[in-house]
Amino acid sequence: MTSTSLSTTETVDSQGEWEPKIMAFCCNWCSYAGADLAGTSRIQYPTNARILRVNCTGRISPEFILAALNMGADGVLVSGCHPGDCHYTSGNLKARARWALMETAIEQAGVDPRRVRLQWASASEAQVFADGVRTLTEQVRKLGPIRREWV
Amino acid sequence: MSKETARALVVGGGVAGMQAALDIANQGFKVYLVERSPSIGGRMAMLDKTFPTLDCSACILTPKLSEIARHPNIRLMTCAEVGSVTGSAGNFRVKLRRKARFVRENLCSGCGACSAECPVEVANEFDQGLGFRKAIYTPFPQATPNVYTVDKENCIDCSRCVKVCERNAIDLEMKDSFVNLDVGTIIIATGFELFDVSRYPRLGYGQYPNVIHAMEFERLINAAGPTHGHLIRLSDGKKPKSIGFIQCVGARDVQKGVPYCSRVCCMYSIKNAVMALEHNPEAEVWVYYADIRAFGKGFEEFYEMAKSRFGVRFVRGRVAEVMEGKSSHDLVVKVEDTATSKLRLIEHDLVVISPGVIPSSGMDTMAKKIGIDQTNDGYIEISHTFFGPTITKIPGVFVCGCADGPKDIPDSVSAGSAAAMKATIILSSGGT
Amino acid sequence: MSGTEDEPRIGVFVCHCGHNIAGTVDVEAVAHMASNLPGVAFAADEMFMCSDAGQTLIKEKIKEHNLNRVVVASCSPRMHEPTFRRVVEEAGLNRYLFDQVNLREHVSWCHMREPELATEKAIDLVRMSVARASKLQNLPIKKVNVLPTTLVVGGGIAGLRASLDIADRGFDVLLVEKTPKLGGNVAKWTHLFPSDETGADIIKPLIRDVKKNKRIKILTESKVSEFDGYIGNFGVTVKNLKTEKEERYEVGAVIVTTGFEPFKPVGYYSYGESPDILTLAELQELPRSEQLLKISNGKPVKKVVFIGCVGSRQPGVKGHEHCSRHCCSATAKAAADLRDRVDEVLVLYQDIRTYGKGHEEFHRMARQKHVIYSKFPQNEYPDVIVKKSKITIKWRDVLADEDLEFEPDMVVLASAMIPPEDVEETSHLFSLTRSGDGFFNPEHIKLAPLTTHTAGVMIAGAAQAAKNASESVIDASGAAAKAVGLMAQGEVEIESTVSHVIPELCSSCHTCLTACAYNAISMDETKDPPIAVVTEAKCHGCGTCAAACPSSAIVMYHSTDDQILTMVEAFLCPSPSIQGGG
Ligand SMILES: Cc1cc2nc3c(=O)[nH]c(=O)nc-3n(C[C@H](O)[C@H](O)[C@H](O)COP(=O)(O)OP(=O)(O)OC[C@H]3O[C@@H](n4cnc5c(N)ncnc54)[C@H](O)[C@@H]3O)c2cc1C
Ligand SMILES: Cc1cc2nc3c(=O)[nH]c(=O)nc-3n(C[C@H](O)[C@H](O)[C@H](O)COP(=O)(O)OP(=O)(O)OC[C@H]3O[C@@H](n4cnc5c(N)ncnc54)[C@H](O)[C@@H]3O)c2cc1C
Ligand code: SF4
Ligand code: SF4
Ligand code: SF4
Ligand code: FES
Repeated sequence: MTSTSLSTTETVDSQGEWEPKIMAFCCNWCSYAGADLAGTSRIQYPTNARILRVNCTGRISPEFILAALNMGADGVLVSGCHPGDCHYTSGNLKARARWALMETAIEQAGVDPRRVRLQWASASEAQVFADGVRTLTEQVRKLGPIRREWV
Repeated sequence: MSKETARALVVGGGVAGMQAALDIANQGFKVYLVERSPSIGGRMAMLDKTFPTLDCSACILTPKLSEIARHPNIRLMTCAEVGSVTGSAGNFRVKLRRKARFVRENLCSGCGACSAECPVEVANEFDQGLGFRKAIYTPFPQATPNVYTVDKENCIDCSRCVKVCERNAIDLEMKDSFVNLDVGTIIIATGFELFDVSRYPRLGYGQYPNVIHAMEFERLINAAGPTHGHLIRLSDGKKPKSIGFIQCVGARDVQKGVPYCSRVCCMYSIKNAVMALEHNPEAEVWVYYADIRAFGKGFEEFYEMAKSRFGVRFVRGRVAEVMEGKSSHDLVVKVEDTATSKLRLIEHDLVVISPGVIPSSGMDTMAKKIGIDQTNDGYIEISHTFFGPTITKIPGVFVCGCADGPKDIPDSVSAGSAAAMKATIILSSGGT
Repeated sequence: MSGTEDEPRIGVFVCHCGHNIAGTVDVEAVAHMASNLPGVAFAADEMFMCSDAGQTLIKEKIKEHNLNRVVVASCSPRMHEPTFRRVVEEAGLNRYLFDQVNLREHVSWCHMREPELATEKAIDLVRMSVARASKLQNLPIKKVNVLPTTLVVGGGIAGLRASLDIADRGFDVLLVEKTPKLGGNVAKWTHLFPSDETGADIIKPLIRDVKKNKRIKILTESKVSEFDGYIGNFGVTVKNLKTEKEERYEVGAVIVTTGFEPFKPVGYYSYGESPDILTLAELQELPRSEQLLKISNGKPVKKVVFIGCVGSRQPGVKGHEHCSRHCCSATAKAAADLRDRVDEVLVLYQDIRTYGKGHEEFHRMARQKHVIYSKFPQNEYPDVIVKKSKITIKWRDVLADEDLEFEPDMVVLASAMIPPEDVEETSHLFSLTRSGDGFFNPEHIKLAPLTTHTAGVMIAGAAQAAKNASESVIDASGAAAKAVGLMAQGEVEIESTVSHVIPELCSSCHTCLTACAYNAISMDETKDPPIAVVTEAKCHGCGTCAAACPSSAIVMYHSTDDQILTMVEAFLCPSPSIQGGG
């Protein structure tokens, strides 16, 4: 397995094990709030994801996801309001519409689409949010470090 | 009433009074917020976490404290109490007694040099007497105003603080003063007090060191509290492994003169039971209750989480007695488990009693001064459950928060806003 | 927009939050790492950043180190972003030059058992925020006027109360009610706790006052069909349900008081299998008569059973997990009242939640009147069997530890309060989120129970959560105070986080026009080729257009591509010199 020049030192935990890096984009109104509630409810989930707050999933351009994979993310999570619940009416529908195209694009680039996850988690669905992070982290852990020959 | 005299007085700076003051001030009216202790914040300032979402009390309260402190329309007066009230809606004249705090508010910067110097240590009432403070002190780190106060009862007049204060803020000769305020409307938000649980000798509070009450527990688990947030037994400093919470003590008890439900004890105990497990996941935590009254938004869900996710054990039954072991200070709770109709003896190394809520001290005198009625239980009587849940008998005088009966924070806040609404109708209409 | 071209001088403040963060995350290590990041001129950790001491520290350090950006690593920005924005503003910085990192809700509280990995995560997040901070720009502070009218949606007791208070305070109200009558649910209750009046006694004078008041415009049989605009200046289309006619109004604030619906408990306790099994709401809507008569055959009822928590307090059942708050007291009142008219009244319950003022007293009165209370075990529900018009009920009494059986003439189910069937619609109209109970989420469950995340839209009464009428009235006055607060000020600040088209880059493709849900983008046809322009007042700042634009011609202020990508980079490939102490 070759690693590209672009990618960084891989994260290893104290035991020297590889730890997946997950870039998470969350909309402010549902998923970020859901993640907040996971905290206040003390729901414990893997530490691998780093949340980047955007107003709406509609803001998330495929470019961001590709950039994250390109720069060394092992997985990307996009989490927003349930369809119909978007604070801006329909930003999440636009995000979903773009998603399919984006998946094809990364697949063509040789990246397993299981590394990206689009999920809906409302402000009250702390568990759903936490489970989403867990599922993706475990999924990516199984897939192993990303092969970046395609970049 | 001219816009000039359109001012409001809010008595009591707990979360209800603060909200009322803010909602009046945000409409452009001037407000005097009068608090008898050295800082606003009320009981909420003493809490560690808050149900039903477990955010920390200081974290959510602090922004409100500073919002009050910097609001151009709010004049904050601490260490102050209502002396007398005359007049009527639109034109009340209120005489305030400002108790000497022996520190000049305009000069003190809250640096704390005085306190470091003070040789006197006394039990800290903010920490429920579990920790110590100096004779010159602020009750808690976020105290608002951030000004020191001398506790003259315990002060030995050594004047060390006076010398060390760079800003010459301390005046040990200060006298009480009186101010007259002309206001159009008055809101009473004087909150509550805790029932004295030593009135149930069989429960052992005051006799056994490891029987404490809920507010003491709140302070014990608080990072800014006497143990820096370490949950320990007072007898030997050990981490408790088995904790029992006893519900409805000084509530729903006709014989003790508290027939009503305190509304918050179930929930704060569930919260504290969860927090106990968070401090020590290996601990066993039991709650002895009559009914679990988890009625507010998100409360039942929180109760369910305490059971299913945290493993708090709930036993329905009235506790007959708490007994202490001979040498260990460990405790045995004797309870009739109504679910099984069996008398059970359960061992704990810490017992937390949940005291009911009673009207704040001095309520009777204040009610008399203003001329408002009290209920049989001693709270302020409202005019009508549906037409005037924040209105008192005297036009222009309103009530909110726990002053008219026990309430949790969301209900107190909502009532604070409601009383503000009523008050501003008076202010804008000239008193009719 | 004026750029902030000067070299970034960033201050990073890491909060202990008592033990809340510092108990898990090594805050000193985080601050130390931050101090080595490019652009950082100052970094420190502090007990409580939001306290006066913490706020003063920020201001002092801004002055002392001439800071031009501030990062606070503490709790969720959803709570304290306004606090810190104000602090930097008071120190002379534009509020948009502040960024907050969430080390509490997103790190220490959800990784309590992994302090090392949590610290690593905290370090990454701070590094990302610092990178973003160095790209932050000044944005103008904008104020808009507030129209002196409030829209009240729902004419139940809460809506009536809110309308009256606002009108009495001197502002105008547009009250929209979907049914032909004002009054909502309370109007139906004949056994009203904790008073001896009926619901109608309470509602009538309110309706009279509302109708008399010139400041209140009442639209019954009407619904809001369209809603747009922003705080202070909302546009509302109200549709008359009968005539289908629509009319446009403009309002400055909104109070949503759409209340609840009593749950129809199909599938519970043989509801629907006998006319003599009915809900507490249905019982109170029966025509009034001296005697309580069986609905099936008109014979007098002698024995009644009430069952509590029907469709409430069911863990895992979506929309039915909450306590409905009113039913224990409503049952106690109805049971006590009925006991005067029938021979036997039995109440089957799980807990008795007569918590309110006077509630415990009439619960006691019910018992004194020999209403029998029997507790059944949780999750072991009583069995109601209907056989040839005979009803048998079997249950286990927890306290007596016995299996019991009873043959009532009537079974009354105290069913849950659930949101009205059109709640989805209301929630979308006003961009409100809902919590697990199905009712609307307040801005903060404890300290901001009446405002929502849609600025200028308030909630009150049962629309916010199950509650009784007295509590709904308190909410209503409180929400009215919020609306009046806005209107009395006359103006309000709005967010500057809107999008902007760079004309030179626009390729006239029209993509953004379809992306925007608010019609905030139009083509300026005076240009050749026409280029897209954003009407800022209409833009809500979602950024969907910016993501859609194939020519990267749209900048989403405060959320630019550059600001986002720099964070991604700071997480994934920080240059070795800026990896920090982690
Ligand atoms: C152990 C415990 C834990 C709790 N936990 C929670 C929780 O987790 N979540 C929740 O929602 N609720 C909780 N509560 C309830 C919460 O404390 C109250 O809802 C809240 O404090 C009520 O606010 P208040 O302003 O009405 O009264 P208070 O907080 O009592 O404030 C009243 C203020 O008025 C002042 N005052 C009194 N008399 C006078 C006078 N005559 N003149 C001038 N000033 C006066 C007092 O000094 C005080 O500052 C808890 C209560 C207890 C006892
Ligand atoms: C069986 C039962 C008994 C009760 N008994 C008591 C009691 O004895 N004492 C007590 O204090 N409380 C009692 N309650 C609770 C009480 O009914 C509620 O607290 C109260 O009705 C809440 O008032 P509200 O105005 O918020 O909502 P509602 O009364 O539900 O009013 C909401 C109004 O909004 C209208 N509306 C809804 N959606 C829209 C829309 N999209 N557009 C326009 N209009 C809309 C509805 O038509 C309705 O008129 C009882 C509840 C039940 C179920
Ligand atoms: S004068 Fe009183 S307050 Fe000051 S240091 Fe001495 S004992 Fe303490
Ligand atoms: S999507 Fe971009 S290029 Fe197309 S019209 Fe809009 S701004 Fe111009
Ligand atoms: S950000 Fe773009 S899509 Fe969103 S509201 Fe503004 S103009 Fe419309
Ligand atoms: S705001 Fe959450 S997806 Fe649009």
